[in-house]
Formats: sequence, structure tokens, C-alpha cells
Amino acid sequence: MNNLKILLNLPKRSIYSVVLLFFLSIVSFLPLSQNIFAADAPAEAAKEAAAPGVELPQFEAGQAPASSQSPEGQPAGEAGTATAAVEEEEAGPVQYRAFFGIDSRVIVWIVSELHLMFAAFVLGVPIFAVIVEIVGFKGGDIKYDKMAKEFTKLLSAAFATTASLGGLLGFCLYGLYPEFMGHMTNVFAPTMYIYALMFFGEAFTLYGYYYSWEILKGAAFKKWFHIMLGVMLNLFGTGLMFITNSWATYMMSPAGVAPLTGKLLSLSHAIYNPLWMPVNIHRLIANVCFGGFVVGAYAAVKFLGSKSEEERAHYDWMGYVGNFIGVGALIPLPFAGYWLGREIYSSSPVMGNIMMGGAFSWTFIIQAILIGMLFIGANYYLWLGMGRIKGSERYTKFFKYLIFVIFMCFAVWLTPHNLPLSGEERAMIGEQYHPFSKYFGVMAAKNAVVNLIILATFFSFLIYRRSNKGEMMPFSEQGKVGKVGIFSGVIFCLLMLVSYAISLNFVELEANMKVFVKPLIRALYIQSFVICLAAYLTFRNKGKLGQAILFAVTACIAVLYFWYYGFEVMQKANLVLRYLSVTQVSIVMSCLIMNAVIDIFMFRKAKLVGGIEWGKMPVRSQYALLLLCVVIVILMGLMGFIRSGLRMDWHVYGIMQDTSQWAYTPSLAYMGRIVGLIVALFLGLVAFVFWLAGLGDKKEKAKEHEYGEVSAGYED
Amino acid sequence: MAKKRSKFLMIWVITAVVCLFLFLKYASPKIFQVLMAKDHPMPTPSTLMMWYMIMGILAGLVYATTSNQKFADFLGFLLPGGGPTIKILLQKVLFVGFPVIVGWFVYSWAIPGAASPVELRIQHPTLPQEFEKLENPFRGADAETQRKSIEEGKILFQTYCRPCHGSKADGNGPFSNSFRLRPINFQDPGTIATVVDNYVFWRIKEGGPGLPSESTPWDSAMPSWKDDLKDDEIWKIIMGEYDTAGVMPRQTEKLE
Repeated sequence: MNNLKILLNLPKRSIYSVVLLFFLSIVSFLPLSQNIFAADAPAEAAKEAAAPGVELPQFEAGQAPASSQSPEGQPAGEAGTATAAVEEEEAGPVQYRAFFGIDSRVIVWIVSELHLMFAAFVLGVPIFAVIVEIVGFKGGDIKYDKMAKEFTKLLSAAFATTASLGGLLGFCLYGLYPEFMGHMTNVFAPTMYIYALMFFGEAFTLYGYYYSWEILKGAAFKKWFHIMLGVMLNLFGTGLMFITNSWATYMMSPAGVAPLTGKLLSLSHAIYNPLWMPVNIHRLIANVCFGGFVVGAYAAVKFLGSKSEEERAHYDWMGYVGNFIGVGALIPLPFAGYWLGREIYSSSPVMGNIMMGGAFSWTFIIQAILIGMLFIGANYYLWLGMGRIKGSERYTKFFKYLIFVIFMCFAVWLTPHNLPLSGEERAMIGEQYHPFSKYFGVMAAKNAVVNLIILATFFSFLIYRRSNKGEMMPFSEQGKVGKVGIFSGVIFCLLMLVSYAISLNFVELEANMKVFVKPLIRALYIQSFVICLAAYLTFRNKGKLGQAILFAVTACIAVLYFWYYGFEVMQKANLVLRYLSVTQVSIVMSCLIMNAVIDIFMFRKAKLVGGIEWGKMPVRSQYALLLLCVVIVILMGLMGFIRSGLRMDWHVYGIMQDTSQWAYTPSLAYMGRIVGLIVALFLGLVAFVFWLAGLGDKKEKAKEHEYGEVSAGYED
Repeated sequence: MAKKRSKFLMIWVITAVVCLFLFLKYASPKIFQVLMAKDHPMPTPSTLMMWYMIMGILAGLVYATTSNQKFADFLGFLLPGGGPTIKILLQKVLFVGFPVIVGWFVYSWAIPGAASPVELRIQHPTLPQEFEKLENPFRGADAETQRKSIEEGKILFQTYCRPCHGSKADGNGPFSNSFRLRPINFQDPGTIATVVDNYVFWRIKEGGPGLPSESTPWDSAMPSWKDDLKDDEIWKIIMGEYDTAGVMPRQTEKLE
């Protein structure tokens, strides 16, 4: 310790000392220092015979059996020396390599997850940056433009890190899993070239978008050109994600290859495999959610460090927008997740069972806790935000009911079907399931409560936006805009509900199953009627009553009735579950859409009770934003583990087996440690990158005055 | 009135949390006993108790901090001076009662005692690969073969499975009371209705001894039937078992 102090006290040598210490500490952590320079680990000799019935002609057969491997995932003792490994490499193609004696899978796990998190931020933020820019341009409000630019500043700083991590991931995969990557290259080679080309497009449009911000200001055509650059950036980004998703989902639900030989039959089928589109949609929405909450945390940190009222007002507003975007994307996310889950069940019921009832079931309890925390945190932030709005006192009475509903739902949401019980408790209960777990632990209950949480969160948002609105103008005096708006909302919802109800009449099911579809059709028609009724009441200046009826009927159908009916369907006609869940989602979405439309037009010209005092937020609200960011990062780390881990000991599920010594499913504790490490690394890296991005701010501060005053006149 | 109530916010929150505790500890076991027609109460498992109580306390704290005024009222209860006599009395109860409760909890956790550990049981352990691709030969057969297999399966079920799982497949067979962990009620939608045919095939064939350690095989008295029944007989039992329980197995869906 004293030596350390002496070393660190030598200013001229300090940098060298730190580097030396860092190197020594890394070396001391390596479990097998003698393997440092061994290019190929003993894993080389650990190829297992292929599973019965699975012929793998691309891979070398006749290697040592898996029994020679250590079950704990440790390298197989002294079997592999550098010389032996080199000799073996000469003897045949290399299947696996070790990373300086460290578990290769952990290296790939950490690097890919970090890459994915940065990529999620880089892909999610431009989506709302462009939207905010358009809002600012159309509304003529410079503060939106300023904020969109600030988002993009973070983006350009994070982009280089994403690319570096992507490169590192590529090298790790090709270096550590050469045979598997050989297979992937055989199948996906053409898409890899397209990926590389699109990456150029992404880089050019991103830097073009950021650096041309000031140049393309002024004339409308210039601004539109700039917005077009942003749109192109999003298209390239989404395209990149879709391509990589095809590789990842192919590993889970391979298609387009011969099952026995692994030979490519159809590239388009390999790309458009059963899980490709569900993952695309899920990740697209999740990226926006992730980006929103990370931006919210950035704003919270800035808010906490603000020294002036102006800064505080700006970052309070930015935090609000970040949270709004995060929550906005969080609402449809469970629907997209459920769709993905159902498609996993469809592509492999066994994988589905492993996911929800097997080895991964406990990770879903952790997921439930994290999602519950997201909803609670987001609502809490909204409620605290109402404190800065004059007139919100009229609505604070709803808080206790909302808290009751949300926490009750949270309780059901996280109750596992299979409870951890002691032997004594099991004996006292006397059967497999306690009633709490029996009725709360299955998907029918989970789906019902998550829909209720979504409805409650939406209600929180409605009262937030109504807080500073006073007396409304009668709807009959709203003019054509209001009528057209409501009418469009009705048409959209009816198209969604009725078209789905009609399509349910033609589903291909046996007669004994089809009877279970009838109640779904009736529910869709009832909801359609209530949508029309709500619109009618709005036209008759009773919009609030219309909204209340719509909320009540939706809660009755989508939560109460489908909770009960889900049980019924689950035991008698599981094939109908997918239609039930879509019906449930459609009904809830129609309620959200129609109520939002009614609210917007009903309060369009309402008198303002008071303004919003941006910056007047309690400090704990900013910690709520930080919590949301940490939770979404943990959630992404956890879900990444689940998605990838579901393949168990397969590289490509059912086609190419993972015969390395690391092909075991990690325990929950081990997973928790690695995901925790990833989260810490990501948050540390992102803080560092944002700090770098803000270094130039001081110089630019003088220039920023030309944006004018930013503290006054903020509106939601 | 509202002003007076806000001064006692902390007491209201504590009362709500205590009510939740009493409900979970005493009311819910009795309610479920009545609702489920049991001859014994259904105690709330300690894990759930802990989770629900944490959430109850969290909900109270969230409510108390939704505005600066509420937060001030919440903490203000602890400040000395002012207020009616009942407030001073409740303050004293709180100052004495809170440490006593904390002490009691610490004592109950720390006192040496014998209890079996709480297990993180996995409900549907991973299906071994050799069973993954199997298909029930009778499920996709013509109606007549299906009917016959169900009939034969029901007879086999009554012969081999009824003693534990009951004639109605409801887990109430004549032997069921002799197990610490009762046999599974197949009528429950959360059991065989959630798995595919080949999963049940694996469970019958390998039984409790074939369960992986995370599924606590030492808790299961299910015998392994691989030495007594032929594969065909097991498939027939599965047909008869689902029919008796009145549920359907999870079916492989067509991808959209």
C-alpha cells in the first residue's frame, strides 16, 4: 500500500505507474497465467459428438467426448498446453479458442451486451431527436431545436463507442468461435456486406446530421433537408438493426437451411425466420424506451449540477421529455414482448416451457420486479411533476387510488406460479400451489394486470396534462378540426377492432376450439360500440363521461373478463390464447387512442389555470429518473441473457450444437454477477462518453445566448 | 378536517401497512380455507408475505412523498410540540413501539431454530433432448384410433395412476393424503394443460428420480414407469389422462 502511494506521488511517473498497476492487476486476476499466450484453450479438444439425429457435416467429427470437460466450466486442467494446441490446430480446423485463459462465453457475453446497449441508445435516440426537431420547426419554438441538437450531441459521442464495441465483438466471435462463425458466414455472407455498406450510410448521415445543424438553419428548405438527413439516419439505423436481428433470431429459430446438414437452402427464409419480426418490433420500441430513460438520467444529472434557474428549467424540461418518451414506449412494450414470447412458444414449445416454466422462469420474476419498478418510477415522476403545475391540486386526490391499483397489479405481476416454500410451509399448505400463486401466477392473470397498470399509467398522464387546464370550450364550438379529429380517431379504432373481429371468424381451428373464439368477437364488437358512444358523448359536450365509460368498459373486458376467460381458454383451448391476447391488446390500445384523441380535442382551447414552473421540482424526482435509467439498463442486460440463453447448449437451435466447455446454463447468482458487471461497465462508459461530449460546452456557451432566453414560456 | 387528517399521515400509512400484515397473516388463510373448502387454513408463504409487505411499505412511502406538502406532513408528525393530546400519545406509542417491533423481528430471525431451507423450485425443468422431438402417435391419428386410445388410456390411468392422482385426475387419490407434497391436480389449468404431450411422456417415463436437482426430485414421490410400461401404453395413458382431467395439452402452433 505504501509502495502504491509512493508510486502515485511521483507526478512525472504517475501515468506509467497507473498503467503498470493496471496491467499487473489484470494479470493477477487471470486464473491461469500459464495459458496467457496459448492461442487455443483446452476447449479445442472438447468437441462432443453431435446429438442423435443431427448430422453436422461442416464440423469435424470424432473429437474427444464432452465427459473430458470440467462441469464447472473451467478449462480442462493441464490437458492443453500451447504446444498441444498448436499441434491440434495443424491437425484440423479450430472449433473454439479461449480468451487468455478466460471463459470465452463470458467475454462474448459482456462485449455483445455492451455493444447492444450502446447500439440501443444510438438507434433509439435519433427516432425521437428527429421528431422533436420537427415539432420545434413546425411550432417555431427554438427550445425544441436546442434539445434535439443536445440529444444528437450525445448520439455522436456514443456512436464511436458503439462502433468500437461492434468491431471488438466481431473479432471476439470470429476469434473465439471460428467454426460457429464459419457456419453463420456460410448462411449470411451476403447480408454481412450489406451491413458494412449500411454502416457507412449510418456514419455519414449521423455526422452529417449533427455537424450540419447550424449550417442548415434558417430557410425552410434547408431545415427540411436537415430533417431528411435525420430520417435517413433512422432508416439506416433500423436497417442495420434488422440485419443483425436476422442473425440473432436465426440462432433461436433457424429457417432456410437443411436441418440435418445445415446447408443453406433459402437466404430469405433464414433472414425472415419465425422470430425475426417479433424481435425487430420489440427491439425498435425498446430502443426508444431505453434512449428516453437514458436521456432522462442525463438531464437529471445535469439538473442536480445546475447552478442557475435557466439551466435547471432547461434540464427539468429535458428530463420530463426523456421520461415522457420512455413511458410512451414502455406502454406498448409488454404487448410486443408478449407477441415475441408467443412466437417463441410457437416456434418451439419446449423453448417456451424452458422460458416461462423452466430454467428461466425465475429470471422472469426478476424481470417482473424491474418492469414494475419502471412503471412505479415513471408514475411517481409524473405525480411529482404535477407539483410544479398550478391547478394540479384538483387531481391529486386520485393519487391514492392510482397507487393502490398500480401496487396491487405489481403484486400480482410478480407472484410466481411456483413459490419458494420451506418444507414446513409445503406441508401446511398441503398441495402444490398456494391460491395466490395458483390464480396470480399464470399468464392470464399477468396479462390482465399489466393491462391495468398500462391503463393506470395512461390515466396518470391524462391528469398530468389536464393539470393546468381550466374551463373547456364546448365541443360544439371547436370547429371542424375537433370533429375531424374525433371522427378520425373513431375510424382508426373501428378499423382496428372490427377488422380483427371479422378476421377471427375465419381462423383455421377445429370446431371444438372455435367456440372459444366467439366471446372474443363479441368483446371486440362491444368495445367498438363503446368507442362510438364515447365519440357521440363528446359531440354532445359530455366528453368526460364518454372517457369514463370507455375506461370502465375497457377495464371490465380487458382486465376482469379476460382474467377469468384466460383461465378457461388455458385449460381447454390453448391455441386460442394467441387470439385472446391480440384481442386484449387491441381493446386496451383502442381505449388509449380514443381517450387521448378525445382529451386533446376536448381541452384544445381550454383556459389555462396557471403555467408550468419548470425547474421547481423536488430533488427526489431526479433520483427517480436516475432509478429509471439504472432499471432499464439492468432490464436490458437481463433480457439479453434470457433471449440468448434460451438456446441452452445450441449455437443454432436444433442445428448446430455448442460443444464447448462453456455450454452450460449459468446459475442465477452467476448471471446476476455478470449482468451487474455489464450494467456497471455500461453506466461508467456512458457517463465517461457524455462527459467527453460536454467538454466543448464551455466554449460554446457564449454562442448559445443567440438561442435567446430559455427559461420562460416552457409548455408541455 | 382534511388538514387534521394530513397531520396524521404517518399514522394512516402505518395503519394501512399493519392492516395489510393482519390480512396476509390471519385473514387470507381463513378466507382461502372457506373459499377452497379446505379442512385447514392456507397460510400465506413467508416469501410472499415478505414481498407483499415490502410493496405495502413502498406504496405508503410513495404516497407520502408525492408532494412536498405531504412529505412535510408525514415527517412533521414526529416533531415535538403542537397538536392534540392523541397526537402526543401516538408519538409516544410510535417511539416505543417501533424499536420494540424492530427488536422483535431481529430476535425472531436471529434466534436459533430448526427449519428446512426455502427452495427455489423450478416447475417445468428443461425437457431432455431425447424427448424433445417425440410425437404422440395417437394425437394426430384418425378419430376412431383416438377414441380407442383414450378408452384404453383411461383404463391404464385408473390402474396405475388413480391411487395417487385420483379417479378424476384431481390429485385426490386414496393415497394422496399420505404424501407431504400432494400429487398434482391435473384439472388445474397451470399443470398439464401448459405442457406438450412429450413433456408428460418424459415425466411418466422417468418420474421423480429423473428430475434434475433444481426441481427437487427428493420432494417427488412419482415413480419411474420405464421398466413397467411400454411407450405405447404411456402415450395411451396421456390420452386418457387429459381426457379425464378435461384439459388439452399445449399444442404446437402454426406460425404466422
